[in-house]
Amino acid sequence: MENNFSAENSLRLITETIERSRRAVAKNAGKPLILWGALVSITAFVIWILWSKTGSPAWNFLWFAMSVIGFLGNRYLDRDKEKVPATEVTRLIGKIWMWFGILSTGFFALVWAAWGIRCAVGIEGPLNVDLTMIILMMMGLCGAISGSVLKLKSVTIPVVIALALAATFLMVMPSGSPVRILSFVILGVLALIVPGVILQKNEKKQ
Amino acid sequence: MPDNSFKPLDPLLHSELRLAVMSILIGVDSADFVYLKSETGATSGNLSVQLDKLQQAGYIEVKKGFKGKMPQTVCSITDRGRDAFASYVEALRSYFPTQ
Repeated sequence: MENNFSAENSLRLITETIERSRRAVAKNAGKPLILWGALVSITAFVIWILWSKTGSPAWNFLWFAMSVIGFLGNRYLDRDKEKVPATEVTRLIGKIWMWFGILSTGFFALVWAAWGIRCAVGIEGPLNVDLTMIILMMMGLCGAISGSVLKLKSVTIPVVIALALAATFLMVMPSGSPVRILSFVILGVLALIVPGVILQKNEKKQ
Repeated sequence: MPDNSFKPLDPLLHSELRLAVMSILIGVDSADFVYLKSETGATSGNLSVQLDKLQQAGYIEVKKGFKGKMPQTVCSITDRGRDAFASYVEALRSYFPTQ
């Protein structure tokens, strides 16, 4: 076997092995995307209903409950997952989403702290920050970078489309309205569930 | 004047299984024996022999330990192995006409 191993075969072997390793990383990405997409969409929908009915934006704290459910769900999915060795790509993607979690949670806490200070000192009027737009943009950016690093157009393209639609929706809807939270339904379905389903279908084909 | 001569290929890497192992290890932090076996489709005996050769050449590092109660062999590429792989790919280029 080794005697017939030509330069062409060598090159093909190297290319195929590296490509297979890259695909193995993407292979496990489908289910978590669907899980998080469903959680983001359902949570945004529930918050919209409760916020609209009660008039209290405090229902946004449900995002934290969603994070806990998502974390536990991810742990559950990891149980059946085929173990793939850590690579620079998986580490990079992990760090990208870790920083999304840290920054969005931190920013969320900061906005509520600022709101508390305003209430305490008696400053009226809306806060000069569009938290929904900022978190939406960060989430879209992280999704687009992840898709790009994994070289998966099936992730990058829906994310960019979702981001454009959701951002337009936010700009059209009146500032401070609970309906703006539905922009996360657009992002959850188009940027997470759709790529997740595509990745799952591709995995089954291979 | 263009250099049309074929560069010699490192005989240690110019073997299907050893090259497959190195191609896997070049892209990951480390990989265990079970993963390498499933990815290469090699038998345990053959893989062990080839890993030993790569280790003796200083191209890979092999750590034996335990994961829970199960023995585990974890392999990772060394700097020397990375250089050897890069040189092998560079030498491989000489076998293909440049555009």
